[in-house]
This record gives sequence, structure tokens and C-alpha cells, in this order.
Amino acid sequence: MTNSGVRRGATALTLVGLVGMVALLWMSFFWVSTEVNQGIVQRIFYVHVPAAWTCFLAIGISALCSGVYLWLRDDRLDRAAMCAAEGGLVFATIVITTGPLWGKIAWGTYWTWEPRLTLTLLLWFIFVGYFMVRNATEDPEKGKRFAAVVAIVGALDIPFIHLSVIWFRSLHPQPVVAKPDGPTLPGDMLVTLLFGLLVFTVLFFGLFLFRYALEDVRLRAELRARRTA
Amino acid sequence: MIQRTLLRPALVLLLPAILAVGVAAQESPFPQAQLGQQSLRPYWHVFIAYAIVIALIGGWALSIARRLRSVEDRLID
Repeated sequence: MTNSGVRRGATALTLVGLVGMVALLWMSFFWVSTEVNQGIVQRIFYVHVPAAWTCFLAIGISALCSGVYLWLRDDRLDRAAMCAAEGGLVFATIVITTGPLWGKIAWGTYWTWEPRLTLTLLLWFIFVGYFMVRNATEDPEKGKRFAAVVAIVGALDIPFIHLSVIWFRSLHPQPVVAKPDGPTLPGDMLVTLLFGLLVFTVLFFGLFLFRYALEDVRLRAELRARRTA
Repeated sequence: MIQRTLLRPALVLLLPAILAVGVAAQESPFPQAQLGQQSLRPYWHVFIAYAIVIALIGGWALSIARRLRSVEDRLID
């Protein structure tokens, strides 16, 4: 796909995502019913959970591209892995900042060192480390290889984050959608949550494509600068 | 120019506040007797959470746009 094709796709997805985001704000503030036990603060759930899903998706893509990059050594895969990792870090930051805001009202504390929170913070640090490792080597090729390994190791944390609430005694709520006997959320809450998942995913892919187009243009600029030098 | 650049993110950040006021105006799910015990603190937490989401996603989008423009300018030069 050409750079202009990538950009057209990115613009379309981002615009759809932005319209969806406005609709999600309207649904979560005006349409969905208020949860009877937690009250208004439960509405954080409609951005916290989609952000977590998108973060896992982005990090999964980053790890997959990194794994194939280590095998094929195709620079396009490394660029895709880096762009997805940047998105993953943005959405991970949303997860670890919105969660404590809910926790303060629901648990009475912003933070507790329980398994899911600790493992999510670890994931955030691993992906901060991804960018540090990438830029810390003198040889850029070595930095790309090291970063690819960090992305794969980081992605291994995701199943542990998901299963930590089942394996360990945890303060964090149990899954209400991804469970063997089906979702246990009331209809309007489930619709709002699924719509949020869709909006965040579309927005991520739109911005991911823009980020990829940026790397493509940057590479062309570097090649031209090298040719003229 | 600077004022306009600052005004846009400020308006975007204000959007959840306007929505939160709308929710506050909705009918309360709590019985009348409990109303005196409710505080506005959860509304602020919801407002801040949604503002963080808009600021981080918007910030990422703006950062990509700025970097893209700067590289394209370099390419044209």
C-alpha cells in the first residue's frame, strides 16, 4: 500500500473513531443507566475497559510484528511494531490513570499492590523500557533487535494480567463479559461497553496508520538526506 | 495564534465537564433519604477520568500530526 493509501485509510478510521467517541460520551453520560451499588463512578468502566482491551491489542500486534521481524528482518515489521507499541503505551497510561480514580471511590484508595494492578504497572514499565532500549544502542539494528525481544517479553504479561483475578485473591472486579457462562452485564451497559470497545479499536487503528505513515515519510527524508550528503 | 492553539485543547477538555453537568441534572437513582449523604466527589472523578482519555488520545494524535508536518517540511526543503 502506498503512503497516500495508508493516509486515506488512517483519515477515514480516525474520523469514524472521533465521531464514535462523541457518541460514546453521549451514551455513557446520558443513555446508559446508573449502576445501583457504585453509582456515577461506575461510568469510568466504559473507558477503562476499552482502553485495557486496546492496550492489549496494540501490544499483541507489537509482539507479533517483533517476532516476525526477528525471523525475516524486514524493517517494515519493526516500524509497525514500534508504532503499535507507542499506541499500547498511550492506552496503558489511560488504564493505569482511570483505574485508580474509580478505585478511590470504590475501594477508598487510589492504589493497592494487588496482582492485576501490579502486573499492569509492570507492563507499562516494560513498554517504557522498549523505547529506552531502542534508543540506547549505538548500532540502530541492535536496538531494533533488543526492542523486539522486550516487546515479546512484555506481551507475555498480558495472559497473567487477565487471569490474575481468577488465580489470586484480588480486589479487582472479576470479568463480567469474557467468561465461560456469558456476559452478566445488563443489556444497556453491555451495549455501551461493546460500543466503547469498537470506538477505541477503530481510533487506535486510525492513529496507528498515521504513525506508520509518519515513519515511512521519515525514512524517505533520511534516505534523501543521505543521498545529497 | 498561540491563543487559538491553547483554546482548542481547552475546549476539548471542557467537553466532559459539560457532559458531567448534564448527568448531574439527570434524575438521581438514589432514594430521597439518601440524597443528603451523597457527595459530588464521584462526579469529579468521572470528569477527570474522561478528561484524561480525551487528553491522552488527542495528545497522541496532535503529536503525530506535528511530527508528520515537521518531517514533510524537511522533505520539501
